[in-house]
Amino acid sequence: MNSFLPILRGIHGVWLREIMRATRDKGQLLGGVSRPLIWLLILGVGLNPYFRGEVFGEVRLVLPYSYLQFLFPAVIVLNIMYTSIQFAVSVIWDREFGFLREILVSPMPRWAVLLGKVLGGATAATGHGTLVLILARFADVTLTAPQVAQAIAYMFALSFALTCFGVVLAGKVRSFEGFGVFSNTVILPLYFASSSVFPLDPSLTRTQLVASYPEWLIMLIYANPITYAVDALRGILINFNQFPPQIGFGLVGIGMIGFFLWALRSFGR
Amino acid sequence: MIPAAGFPNRQRLHFTRASPKPYICGLSLRPPEGYGRGEVNQTNCQEADFAGRSISLLIQPHETAERAGPAVRVEHLSLKYGGQVALDDVSLSIGRGSSFALLGPNGAGKTSLISVLATLREADKGLVEVAGHDLRRASRQVRLSIGMVFQDPSLDDRLSAEENLDFHGRVYGMPGRARADAIDRMLDLVELTGWRETVVRSFSGGMKRRLEIARALMHEPQILFLDEPTVGLDAQTRARIWAYLNRQRCERGLTLLTTTHYIEEVEDADRICIIDKGRIIAEGTPGQLKRELGQSFLHVVAATPADHAALLAAYPGAHAIGAETLAIPAGEEDFVAGFLARFGNRLREMRFEGPTLEGVFLSLTGRVLRDRTDGEREAQRNAGRRAGRR
Ligand SMILES: Nc1ncnc2c1ncn2[C@@H]1O[C@H](COP(=O)(O)OP(=O)(O)OP(=O)(O)O)[C@@H](O)[C@H]1O
Ligand SMILES: [Mg+2]
Repeated sequence: MNSFLPILRGIHGVWLREIMRATRDKGQLLGGVSRPLIWLLILGVGLNPYFRGEVFGEVRLVLPYSYLQFLFPAVIVLNIMYTSIQFAVSVIWDREFGFLREILVSPMPRWAVLLGKVLGGATAATGHGTLVLILARFADVTLTAPQVAQAIAYMFALSFALTCFGVVLAGKVRSFEGFGVFSNTVILPLYFASSSVFPLDPSLTRTQLVASYPEWLIMLIYANPITYAVDALRGILINFNQFPPQIGFGLVGIGMIGFFLWALRSFGR
Repeated sequence: MIPAAGFPNRQRLHFTRASPKPYICGLSLRPPEGYGRGEVNQTNCQEADFAGRSISLLIQPHETAERAGPAVRVEHLSLKYGGQVALDDVSLSIGRGSSFALLGPNGAGKTSLISVLATLREADKGLVEVAGHDLRRASRQVRLSIGMVFQDPSLDDRLSAEENLDFHGRVYGMPGRARADAIDRMLDLVELTGWRETVVRSFSGGMKRRLEIARALMHEPQILFLDEPTVGLDAQTRARIWAYLNRQRCERGLTLLTTTHYIEEVEDADRICIIDKGRIIAEGTPGQLKRELGQSFLHVVAATPADHAALLAAYPGAHAIGAETLAIPAGEEDFVAGFLARFGNRLREMRFEGPTLEGVFLSLTGRVLRDRTDGEREAQRNAGRRAGRR
């Protein structure tokens, strides 16, 4: 107890600094706002008419949702992915500009420092996810209060796991300069190779799926954890699941713990 | 100069010239007439008017200080980076409330030693105790009791001065009120109160340095590590900070471990340790070192280049300082008389220099200790940053 309160204060301090960093970084804020707008308003609205109905005289998909509704949860996940993984920049920044040493000579245990940082990063990412929720009415998604609460809680858990993943990446990257490119090569493939921008029709059997998509893509999508993460959020927001939502929740839970421990190993060494 | 005769016991009589009010620390003396022992003992630090100058007397509780053990104890410490030896069998002990200076050329291992003491690097071999705690077993206690001013910048320059200090206070577990008080006090000390809400990025180098010192002192550490702390500070600020540090030593037994290139600051230290290539090559009080290792030098500028050459030929032991000046060791009693007889009319300038720490350093390492230029420092800082990156 005697040493618990100071540690709590320390975690709060580290968290606060991350929040200040995130809210003062105009570029990041701009990205957090413009990204969902572009995805929803341009990609979503643009592809909306093609989603359902006939393509070259053939019915491809039978989903009770519009493309905008379908894309909406995925855009939230995309926004979270960007902000969380970009968080690595904060870790690299601390290391490069010497601030990390100031933290490491402090009496805070290493796990507490990391926890504070990751909570800060996850809060910022959840904020960017919640920004997208405001656009719900443009995507024809109606939300009840419990749905919003559930979604925010889930988004926070997902942000936490991904932020830890960002810290792990920071441990592997030596310089700032490369990180922007690097993060794009991680985020975009992960995002596209999940069923985020195109649906796998749950009513189709696997053989039927293979008939409409190449085998390798289906394999990729099944192997990609983001598929399940997006799917669980779809369940919450538009009540549509391609997989049992437990898979998504379970993966996020495992990711939170697993990536945190992994990040702890690389952090501050 | 204060007449030492006023102090019956002259052991460890010492005051800092840098401070406007000299402080005398670590005295074990019978107070001078008119200052009864009881009176002095009421507070730890007593202002006294002596020989027309205001002095602070510290009556340090010697017995308790000794019982508590040294502030830092290092035994047979070794550290390697890859295969390269940075510290080689270093042993030293720093008394509580004392001021200890590490002196050494670039790459000597000063920063490495401080990093080990501050738990930032793990030593390969050896025992280290800081504030009475074993470094390996109680690193949290160690970190609680130390303050650190890094050689390289370590502020978050996107935060304001106040936010930097506030972060520090929180991370050291200070409660809100204590934190706010400490921030006010520290900003006042380093005269940055007017810059409280300014983002650090727009600070000058010296202002950043001041803020770093304020930050290191904020949680009232028992031991303060200062790695070349006053580089880039003007003389006034330096004096002010040293005065504060010395007052802290008097009032609450703060221990100082400094590395510095300003020889005049080292002269004020209680003990000096000269380190080179990772090894301690000399240790003692400034007086001791000067007595035992110091040499007198005659600094001369020859009238013509021919005279210069003649001087060099006559005194092969002379060191060149700059383009014209020669430092000729003046060891023997009647050296100067003999020198003047030979070269007296062939000189443009002459200055006699008694034993100095520079001389000690020169005779031990064969190198002149001088300040690096700022450009060099910056280059080295960047190189260090690159090396520190993994
Ligand atoms: N991170 C590192 N990796 C490898 N070698 C290092 C590292 N840090 C320091 N060294 C080496 O260890 C030796 C001691 O360096 P250190 O920084 O302790 O010197 P210093 O006395 O502080 O020098 P300066 O006066 O320039 O600050 C040097 O030879 C340096 O090259
Ligand atoms: Mg150094």
